[in-house]
Amino acid sequence: MTSPQTLALTPHQEQALQTLLRRYQGGGQSALLPLLHDIQAITGWVDEPTARAVAHTLGIPEIEVHNVLEFYTLFYNRPVGKHVIRVCNDLACMLAGHEAIIRALADHLGVPEQGGTSADGRFTLELHPCLGHCELAPFLMLDEEPMGPVSPDQIPDLLGGVS
Amino acid sequence: MSYEPVLTARIGKIDPASLTDYEAHGGFQALIRAVELGPGRVVALMEEATLLGRGGAAFPAGIKWRAVHQAEGPKFVVANADESEPGTFKDRVLMEGDPYALIEAVILAGFATAADKGFIYVRGEYARAYQRLRHAIARCYEAGYLGRDILGSGFEFHIELRRGAGAYICGEETALFESIEGKRGYPRLKPPFPTQAGLFGRPTLINNVETLINALHIVLRGPAWFNSIGPAHSPGPKLYPLSGRVQRPGLVEAPMGITLRELIEEHGGGVSGSGEFRVALVGGAAGAFLGPDHLNTPLDFRSLASIGAALGSGAVIVFDTSVDMKPILQRIADFFAHESCGKCYPCQLGTMRQRDIIARMVAGQGRPGDLQLLRDIGQTMRDTSICGLGQTASNAILSAFELKLT
Amino acid sequence: MTSTISLTIDGQPVEAPADATVLQAAEAAGITIPTLCHHPNLTPPAVCRLCVVEWEGRRTLQPACVTQVAADAVIHTRSPRVDLARRTILEMLATTVDLSDAPELRAMLAEYDAHPERFGEDLTRREHEVIIDNSFFVRDYDKCVLCWRCVEACGTDMEHAFALGFSGRGFETSIATFFENPMPETTCVFCGNCVGVCPTGALKDRRVFELEMATDY
Ligand SMILES: Cc1cc2nc3c(=O)[nH]c(=O)nc-3n(C[C@H](O)[C@H](O)[C@H](O)COP(=O)(O)O)c2cc1C
Ligand code: SF4
Ligand code: FES
Ligand code: FES
Repeated sequence: MTSPQTLALTPHQEQALQTLLRRYQGGGQSALLPLLHDIQAITGWVDEPTARAVAHTLGIPEIEVHNVLEFYTLFYNRPVGKHVIRVCNDLACMLAGHEAIIRALADHLGVPEQGGTSADGRFTLELHPCLGHCELAPFLMLDEEPMGPVSPDQIPDLLGGVS
Repeated sequence: MSYEPVLTARIGKIDPASLTDYEAHGGFQALIRAVELGPGRVVALMEEATLLGRGGAAFPAGIKWRAVHQAEGPKFVVANADESEPGTFKDRVLMEGDPYALIEAVILAGFATAADKGFIYVRGEYARAYQRLRHAIARCYEAGYLGRDILGSGFEFHIELRRGAGAYICGEETALFESIEGKRGYPRLKPPFPTQAGLFGRPTLINNVETLINALHIVLRGPAWFNSIGPAHSPGPKLYPLSGRVQRPGLVEAPMGITLRELIEEHGGGVSGSGEFRVALVGGAAGAFLGPDHLNTPLDFRSLASIGAALGSGAVIVFDTSVDMKPILQRIADFFAHESCGKCYPCQLGTMRQRDIIARMVAGQGRPGDLQLLRDIGQTMRDTSICGLGQTASNAILSAFELKLT
Repeated sequence: MTSTISLTIDGQPVEAPADATVLQAAEAAGITIPTLCHHPNLTPPAVCRLCVVEWEGRRTLQPACVTQVAADAVIHTRSPRVDLARRTILEMLATTVDLSDAPELRAMLAEYDAHPERFGEDLTRREHEVIIDNSFFVRDYDKCVLCWRCVEACGTDMEHAFALGFSGRGFETSIATFFENPMPETTCVFCGNCVGVCPTGALKDRRVFELEMATDY
């Protein structure tokens, strides 16, 4: 996971991040997951300086932040697209033709079918275990927006509609 | 046989954002009744009802409620809303469609056990359920259902809403506690059990969302009503998330113990694809495949246990005769290799070896002893893993070989 | 004073303090149970499961290093079930990491008639580059069995330096520093405790490492 990259934040984002850290000051380890969720809502992912700031804010060892970032698949300690598309690749969605959805997305974004980030950095495609919407298979989530059943020909519109 | 849904009765009929709508449809009546009865009587009702935990382990809820009721504070109530078992979407439908019901149930459980605080741990991917619960909790504080002196009872209670972050293991109760405490989701060694030392080391009542919602109806309608539904050994209303090759996939509420055939034919509109039933995966990836011989087996805890299967979350995924089962088995093996937390060796190593072996079998490069290897790995995981993830990670795959699905 | 209780281990009547572990009770009776992650000075993480025993009436095998004895328990430290579990875990471990520097584990493989080769060749392994980033010790995670001892020694059990933790999860777990930074850039105080507790040669004194390299070639 060696990624020397750091976040490039706008002044507005930077300010929001600082406000957040102040709000969590001294929050202890139990506040770690909520804080990481809140940070990612602003920044998308967590770089090394931010992870350090999280540890200092909560008053916990830095390694604890690393341990958690590395365990949970919704947390990122390396760059991720502005929008994340999670396509379900589990049983019910397999039975409903998820392959065609994945292929359409991969084609459109120019990323491998196993997932990846588009060259312009706007989208990350991820294959995800059952997303708990099996009655709506094949199913995907565009950021926090649930979508299903989706068909391959909806994909261009779906991506085009995103800022 | 007509059955009037109870757990899902309000879903689709009320505005999930509206507290007044919830109240107008029977909302908070159970809590009001509980306050009249007092904590001891509520716990007694829970003991009289044979409510077996709906999160998968089928542990009697009344025993846990009693244990936490009697324990010294501070103590906690936790709603397990991490729902990540493949094929399972029942708790999501409850939370999205009737969020106040879960909140009422957590307050009721807190009142009955004299807990200090409740947590609702919602799967990270369930953004909509999270938003709706967040809104509903805020409304409940405004209306006095949360905070100090709830309903004039003198009882003070708070609820904190938490989000998971992408880890199936965090549905395991002790891993869930670790996650709330800000750590990796590693399951703890048991004993101690949650009712003795759970969240933050304190006595904790942890129940599945569906279990908690049932408690509302047990308080309102009584244990006799509850015990009269379905088989006496595991009674009550049950949610069955039905998906895969059926005409009408969706969440089914039925009396516990309907058969696979009834579920597929009457509720699912029959098998789709080739139209011919091949097999169903019952209980999700941690469950087992059931073939045509078991179409008439009741889907309840005991009946399934007696044939070496498990009801688990109640999820049923249907496969018709046109489905190539090889990628299905590969997917199940991949799932466990991806979701093993890695704490104990049998599961950390066994889920990956299981995946490796299935991969070569699927590719037509299986070796003569491969099935025996899968059995040895399965028995080792079942016998020595710390938690249910490793203990069940080979069930579906071994059952598929029993049924000669590939 | 804790009370004394009686139980049966391998057909032998045994007396043990009520708060003893099965491992302690067996050792006192002269019965050896294999262990790997367990270390007398560290919190038992109970992750390796090589110490499991069969306890009549219990559904699963029980890890002896953390399971408390109980009156009248009937325990078997060797049985077909126990041996199968130990053998399978050892075989899977031997096909995952390099055990060449772990003579005790290699002896265990022989004792349990383990045949890692029956798993075939096309298996996922854990492979890592050797990390030489300081003058005191070398980290060769090809040999790491994830026993957690170093993490515990670096953290709350001994040093409170909190330099070591985990990357990844599941099979892909590895012992790591914060953002995988070189040791000198972490909170490591070079106490050497981690090297002292490592059972497999994954953590090694740098001079020993260099000496071995010199004799190898
Ligand atoms: C790997 C694993 C995942 C689990 N996931 C869930 C889950 O998502 N939701 C749940 O309620 N229980 C889950 N459980 C079961 C819980 O550990 C626990 O038994 C349950 O929350 C207790 O509630 P109940 O008695 O109401 O069923 C899981 C167990 C294991 C081993
Ligand atoms: S480096 Fe050594 S002590 Fe640390 S987990 Fe690996 S084998 Fe155990
Ligand atoms: S299998 Fe795709 S949402 Fe469940
Ligand atoms: S020595 Fe007991 S689990 Fe490792």
